[in-house]
Amino acid sequence: MSTPTSADVVVIGSGICGALAACRLAQQGLSVLILEAGPRIDRGRIVAAFRNSTRRGDWMSPYPFSPWAPQPEYKPRDNGYLVQAGPYPYPAEYIRVVGGTTWHWAAQAWRLVPNDVRIKSLYDVGVDWPITYDELDAWYQEAEEILGVAGADNTGSPRKHPFPMQPVAEPWSMRRFRERLAPAYAVVANTVARNSRSYDGRPACVGNNSCQPICPVNAQYLGINAVDSAEAAGAKVVPNAVVYRIEADAKGRIAAVHYYDPDKQSHRVTGKEFILAANGIESPKLLLLSATDKYPNGLANRSGMVGRNLMDHPSSSLTFYADEELWLGRGPQSPSSINTMRDGAFRAQHAAYRLDFTNISQVNAVTEDLIREGVYGPAFKQQLRWRAARQCNVKNVLEVLPHPENRITLSSEKDALGIPKPEAHYSIDEYTRRGADVSHNDFAKIAQLMGGTGLRYSLDGQFANNQHITGTLGMGNDPTKFVTDGFGRSHDHENLFCCGTGVMPTAATMNSTLTAVALALRTVEHMHPRQATTKESVARAAAETSA
Amino acid sequence: MSRGPRAAGILLAALVALAATQAVAATGPAPASSSAEVQRGHYLAVAGDCEACHTAPGGKPLAGGLPIATPVGPIFSTNITPSKQDGIGDYSLQQFSDAVRKGVRGDGKHLYPAMPYTAYAQLTDADVRAMYAYFMHGVQPVDSRPTQTHLPFPFNIRLSMAAWNLLFLDDKPFKPDPGQSVEWNRGAYLARGLTHCSTCHTPRNFMMAEKPSHALAGASLGTWFAPNITPDPESGIGNWTQQDIVDYLKTGSAPGKGQAAGPMAEAVDHSLRHLSDADLSAIAVYLKSIPARHDSNDTRAADAWGKPYADFAGLRGKALPKDPDQMTGPQLYDAYCATCHQDRGQGSFDGGLPPLFHNTATGHRNTDNLVMVMLDGIAWRTDGSGVHMPGFAQELSDQQIATLGNYLTQHFGNPAAMVTVDQVRTLRAGGASANLVLLVRVLMAIVLVIVIAIIVAIVRMIARRRHRTTSQPAP
Amino acid sequence: MDEPVETDLVNPGRRRVLAGMLTAYTASLIPWALAAPVANPSEGVFLALSAILVGEKALDAALGNRLHPALVTASPRFDADAQALLTLIDSQHIDPAKLQATLDASRSPLAALPRTIMRAWCLGFVDDGDTVQCLAYEDALDAVFVSDVLKPPTYAYGPYGSWSKPPATKGNGDA
Repeated sequence: MSTPTSADVVVIGSGICGALAACRLAQQGLSVLILEAGPRIDRGRIVAAFRNSTRRGDWMSPYPFSPWAPQPEYKPRDNGYLVQAGPYPYPAEYIRVVGGTTWHWAAQAWRLVPNDVRIKSLYDVGVDWPITYDELDAWYQEAEEILGVAGADNTGSPRKHPFPMQPVAEPWSMRRFRERLAPAYAVVANTVARNSRSYDGRPACVGNNSCQPICPVNAQYLGINAVDSAEAAGAKVVPNAVVYRIEADAKGRIAAVHYYDPDKQSHRVTGKEFILAANGIESPKLLLLSATDKYPNGLANRSGMVGRNLMDHPSSSLTFYADEELWLGRGPQSPSSINTMRDGAFRAQHAAYRLDFTNISQVNAVTEDLIREGVYGPAFKQQLRWRAARQCNVKNVLEVLPHPENRITLSSEKDALGIPKPEAHYSIDEYTRRGADVSHNDFAKIAQLMGGTGLRYSLDGQFANNQHITGTLGMGNDPTKFVTDGFGRSHDHENLFCCGTGVMPTAATMNSTLTAVALALRTVEHMHPRQATTKESVARAAAETSA
Repeated sequence: MSRGPRAAGILLAALVALAATQAVAATGPAPASSSAEVQRGHYLAVAGDCEACHTAPGGKPLAGGLPIATPVGPIFSTNITPSKQDGIGDYSLQQFSDAVRKGVRGDGKHLYPAMPYTAYAQLTDADVRAMYAYFMHGVQPVDSRPTQTHLPFPFNIRLSMAAWNLLFLDDKPFKPDPGQSVEWNRGAYLARGLTHCSTCHTPRNFMMAEKPSHALAGASLGTWFAPNITPDPESGIGNWTQQDIVDYLKTGSAPGKGQAAGPMAEAVDHSLRHLSDADLSAIAVYLKSIPARHDSNDTRAADAWGKPYADFAGLRGKALPKDPDQMTGPQLYDAYCATCHQDRGQGSFDGGLPPLFHNTATGHRNTDNLVMVMLDGIAWRTDGSGVHMPGFAQELSDQQIATLGNYLTQHFGNPAAMVTVDQVRTLRAGGASANLVLLVRVLMAIVLVIVIAIIVAIVRMIARRRHRTTSQPAP
Repeated sequence: MDEPVETDLVNPGRRRVLAGMLTAYTASLIPWALAAPVANPSEGVFLALSAILVGEKALDAALGNRLHPALVTASPRFDADAQALLTLIDSQHIDPAKLQATLDASRSPLAALPRTIMRAWCLGFVDDGDTVQCLAYEDALDAVFVSDVLKPPTYAYGPYGSWSKPPATKGNGDA
């Protein structure tokens, strides 16, 4: 089988955004080629690999590492792929395989809240988005129907049409949080791309409690489902195709992309349109790598903003023992949260945040603690059960503001194929730190309401990263200030489109995937509008599937 | 999973169907009926599972058009809504009755017994009337003609069915057995008639007619296998309690015994779970009373094999082989099954995700269903519960399914039951029905029917002549 | 490599190998050991020490058979150290709850051994660095100790929604 060297649309990256964009275009009869740097993987083998893993808290551990398509890994030691320039570490994780990083997401599929796209106007921080929440609503809805999103209505994100599914059944532990924190806090079901019933041929959740690193039963929507749909629609996927250069012609249109296979043989693929969907780090890396005499700062970089305004969601957390048996670990990992601090006048002063409760089994963490503490004899089992039943955790998911100095650049270090590694320049500003401080009052109150003992705050000033790589290809109307226009099209190259979390101008307080998918669907609609009838039939098909 | 396998199984088992009913001349308006009668007719139509074959995927209920793949081309079910132009809106009660119970459609031509009229022949006049009332007044007419079926010669010779009917159709309605209880009689009436258990579960003779001597003793549908459901304790379901049978028919699962998959899951989903508890109970009473059919190869009930088992030593600390076909049974089980059925095959705490030991899925000597469920999974369509088990046709190769199947029967089921790569390949391709061998068999059966029809005609002619001869007055 | 077998203490037979080497103190911690079949004396020592550390009077022999050779491979001194630690506990009547503190206070060269053994039984992990391996997941004791109420991650808890009910524990985890 020969590999195609040309297509109507060439998509770089087979993650959830690239694959869904490819799927939609292939459904419209266009020839679509998806180039993916990493290999194909198999769900069952990942499940088996995780059970054999010696790093159970490391969601990267069951995934294969491909020398030709390196991915950042930090355990057992930092593999040095994402070079850290500081001052604050940015240990982003992502998976370079067919299907991308959603293989190990927790399927939180949030909408923004309406004011998230207007924080400059309303609170004089960050930037406004070039689109309104109202415009996004229909695209969110379409994304939610494709992914199969279950959720509650009281999360602060209005909607015109109902969710495709009821919220996922509430784990006992979360019910107790909801009951005991009321009325001080409203604990609500998370909005998740996890099935609360059979949906689109995929089963309902059966509570494997391993959403990260892998849903063994296909109850949560993954990028690989999008890849399957794209291939069914006729798109071709080339795995192990490491794109290292995008080529512009004399008129500034993108003419081709060049990729290496694992043996470093170079291949050139031409197309009419190009979609860059290689995540918020690899995508800007690729644009910077493609610098020529004519484009000395890289492609799409007239503004100088490619790779800049890198954002994520830092978290601090509180771990404690509740005064009753909750037994985290029954049901999905991320079921519930508190959404009341996602917006408010305070955003002029400090970061907004969500408060997120984990339902991840505490057994592994508690066992490691007990061994570290040297608890032996009959006390071990007794303590293990006592702690595993009561230990719980609340964390904040903090907004960070776009700052140009937080950025991805090309490192002087090179990977196995000789391609420069990405380098992260990152810091966490006072705005975000103030938000963390405020949220710690909530932590304390929550612990108090749960009869908490053994309170353990995460170390002061230290934040965990949430792998919501945002910014770096920001959308905006001013070509001198933004990389992409309001539809994700490069200001500089009319046939280059960016899909993914990178185009988000701000990070807000929610996991970024659903917004990126909604924007990607909007981008491909802009590229190739569907006939009204097509759109209707797609909506009808979705409705029938879910009926 | 489509209704295809079940329908195709029924079809093959009953020669070839040509159910292209055409509207016939009007014979007067349908008589008025009470809403209670319409309701009763609806219940009976559900019990008879008319919708299963007469509704296309995504199509309007009972408007026909379900394509049924056969070796000689696709056959499409007919519109049985009361549409006057495209359905049965012009049928008189008598015409309706003849179609349902005798396999003769409105224009007098014969149906092929894909339509289970040999079972429906048991229906009482009152029930046929109720069903007629339902079809005329309780079903939305749909004015659309499903794709017409065009089969090549000799499959288009409908008259051969007359001879077949002569030999194999008992067209007398059910007669209650006064020596049995009311409940038994109700169960017998339903099981032999509307729910047409024997259509799948009774093996066929060389003419593709059910073998009465082996009633409900189990038969292959080409892909899925309809097991022995007589009360034999080893070969059948003699060790099932009455409640086990009712649970199975109502929920598709008899805990500790087995789960409905394939065509049986469809039958439960579309039809059986809608029956009243009293009727399900009656069917169970009847099934427990029929003659047990024993196969001496069966030494233990299919649901009485196996125990918890795990091979952690063969799994932990061992990397998977690069070549998926080299994965061992324990490794395949670990990767694809253990997630739901648990590390030792013991199922979930509440058994809602079933154990694999003490389960007919692994305990039958015939492993076709085990292979089929691994390939296709189990999905319910009408009750919204959807996927009960994902299929692995995409993920697993023939070799992997065979290795895994043998691991499952070895440790959780009947160790004598084997799965071969060839078997998996055949079943994946649509089962024996796709084989030329079967095509030849069907062809032979058709030809035989024609030959017999001719013989019958000759015999009759001779008899008539003789009769004429003998009745002639002596000169 | 020396085989650190205490021949004077051990019955060479396959059974009751430990009976002669344990005092009433350690025997009281692990009554099962007096009758447990073991393949060789060093495995007997390993199982006895393991039982004291994890606080169980019965251990999964099959798992022990997987862990012991791997621990020996990971550290050639393992058997000798295990023997020494068992002798120390035996002679000083050390309460397992105070063992680590005692070893740490005396800067004992054996201080790392309890964690090595605990890690093997309770997490299934043996060795470190690039040669670390996972020899148990489902039957590691951390999973077994809570198996009446939790499934190890990746194993389904049950049918959709079954996790909404309050956790019903048997309290012993020996399900």
